[in-house]
Amino acid sequence: MTSLSHPGESCALLGSLVERIDVGIFAVDRTGTVALWNRFMAVHSGKSSSEMLGQNLFAMFPELPRPWLEKKLESVFVLGNNAFTLWELRPYLFRFPHNRPITGGLDTMRQNVTFLPLRTPGGEVSLVCGTVFDYTETALAQHSLHDAIAALNKEKDAQAQLIVKLEAAQNQLLQSEKMASIGQLAAGVAHEINNPIGFVNSNLQTLKKYCEQMLQLISTYEPTEAQITDSGLLSRISNLKQALDIEFLQEDLPALIKESEEGLVRIKKIVEDLKDFSHVNESEWQYADINAGLDSTLNVVWNEVKYKATVDKHYGELPAIECLAAQLNQVFMNLIVNAVQALDESKGMGTITLSTGHQDEWVWVEVRDNGRGMSDETRRRVFEPFFTTKPVGKGTGLGMSVSYNIVQKHHGRIELTTAPDEGSCFRVWVPVKQAQAAAP
Amino acid sequence: MTMEFISDDQRDALQEVANIGMGQAGASIARVLGEFVELSVPRISTVDAAGIPAALAALAGDGVASAVRQAFIGELRGEAIAIFSEHSAHDLAELLAYGDALDAPAGCELLLDIGNVLVGACLGGIAGLLRTEIGFSAPSLLADQVATSDLIQAETIAARCALLVEVRFGLEKRVFRCHLVMLMPEDALAALRRALDRFIEEF
Repeated sequence: MTSLSHPGESCALLGSLVERIDVGIFAVDRTGTVALWNRFMAVHSGKSSSEMLGQNLFAMFPELPRPWLEKKLESVFVLGNNAFTLWELRPYLFRFPHNRPITGGLDTMRQNVTFLPLRTPGGEVSLVCGTVFDYTETALAQHSLHDAIAALNKEKDAQAQLIVKLEAAQNQLLQSEKMASIGQLAAGVAHEINNPIGFVNSNLQTLKKYCEQMLQLISTYEPTEAQITDSGLLSRISNLKQALDIEFLQEDLPALIKESEEGLVRIKKIVEDLKDFSHVNESEWQYADINAGLDSTLNVVWNEVKYKATVDKHYGELPAIECLAAQLNQVFMNLIVNAVQALDESKGMGTITLSTGHQDEWVWVEVRDNGRGMSDETRRRVFEPFFTTKPVGKGTGLGMSVSYNIVQKHHGRIELTTAPDEGSCFRVWVPVKQAQAAAP
Repeated sequence: MTMEFISDDQRDALQEVANIGMGQAGASIARVLGEFVELSVPRISTVDAAGIPAALAALAGDGVASAVRQAFIGELRGEAIAIFSEHSAHDLAELLAYGDALDAPAGCELLLDIGNVLVGACLGGIAGLLRTEIGFSAPSLLADQVATSDLIQAETIAARCALLVEVRFGLEKRVFRCHLVMLMPEDALAALRRALDRFIEEF
């Protein structure tokens, strides 16, 4: 500008600048009559300055938000300060086509518009000038950024979920490894015990027979005692009989044998249950009797239960259900052991109630105790891995989380109702058939 | 509070200028909005950077608020912040000819528009009295419906301390309430002092 000599020349240059600058420039007076319309506006709107000058802006562009824009212009006239519109909030003021008819992108040009007061020499605002800046490229860049961030966030969420699943899987692996080795141990022990039990049982049967025969012999001999004339022999027999308490012996011997037989039956049953429970070789889906599974599980943990609680059973008629029996047994064991541990020993023997039932295509097993119940905190976290209310070293905090996962694997669910000092009740729902596993 | 930045005379002058400026601003805003505007007497104080969030929270009271910031540029330099409590700004939608259905972007634009009008009128008034030109940046949203204590984060404040001029706005018969705060950084205060001295000499 410094080289300009004539004011007229400077005005012409300014006019040319306004005309050619790559920014939309227009001006209106208080009535909305257009006083300036540069080339940018003409090119993009398709309305030349000769068409526009002297016309009412709103008449020429009926799609403009008239009351709002009039208010905005009014505020510039009154206050003499700039006003603005931003493309982020109001994508455009004038509906201009964007500059990507081929490569696509946005439907209309994104615009930032600044309204400037133009003052007459007296100081009054006579015109408001609008400058329209094309922000389409920025908007496109920002949109792709938004999309990228959204995609990243989605991925991040998916990963977070994956991590949770991984953790659960790892915990379950840990616990099932443990259970598998316990199962193997139990099965091995059961097998080893089976052998000696076999011959003890067989021997006992023989022994029983021998005893019966001996007793038969003695009872045959007894009536002949009266014919013994040797008084010495007679008194020796009678002394011996007294010393041996032969009458009691005759009575007690069959009883002892019978008790031993019963003991053996029990040992056999426990061994069977151990084998059932561990199911070392059965990791496949099979149809199993849940009531029987519950009973054999109860037998395995009976030692934990018998001094602390009486067990009430209310078993319903159940169909055989498709399940991983060994794993469900593990769930029942966790629930029963936890129920026993939740009992308040200061109140004497507790009660564990085992119930089963059947509803539509679903079977439920309920383990209820009348123990201490749970706090809200415990109740919220009971299925969380490594959460335990037991002293350090007493519980792994995995039992319930593993149970939860097993039930999930069966497409079932665990319901929990509990109240402090009233006890807790876990109800496990599993579908009869896995293929039809849908929520009841 | 003791004024470390400006003398007592300058402070009195600033109070005077602010009072007159707000009076004029009130009249102009009333012309734009078509309703009578209630304005408090401006309060002037200094705060250090760490105190700015608390000062804003104290103005806005408890609860949730939104804030719009706008820079003013020129001989006098700083930032103005308009704080709107809760949804009270939506009350003004009709006055600025916004439609009935105020979606999120429109609600946001409304806040910016109101902020622009208030800041422009008040600071323009003060600048006029001090015979100095100031321009304004486009307003931007500083906080959208956050707890008043989170309107601005202390760690983002660049200035070491600031001069704070606070005005309360209201409209008769409307719930709309707004606080306008003008913050000037310490290093911009020399210009303010000069402008105030000029003002004192002239009257």
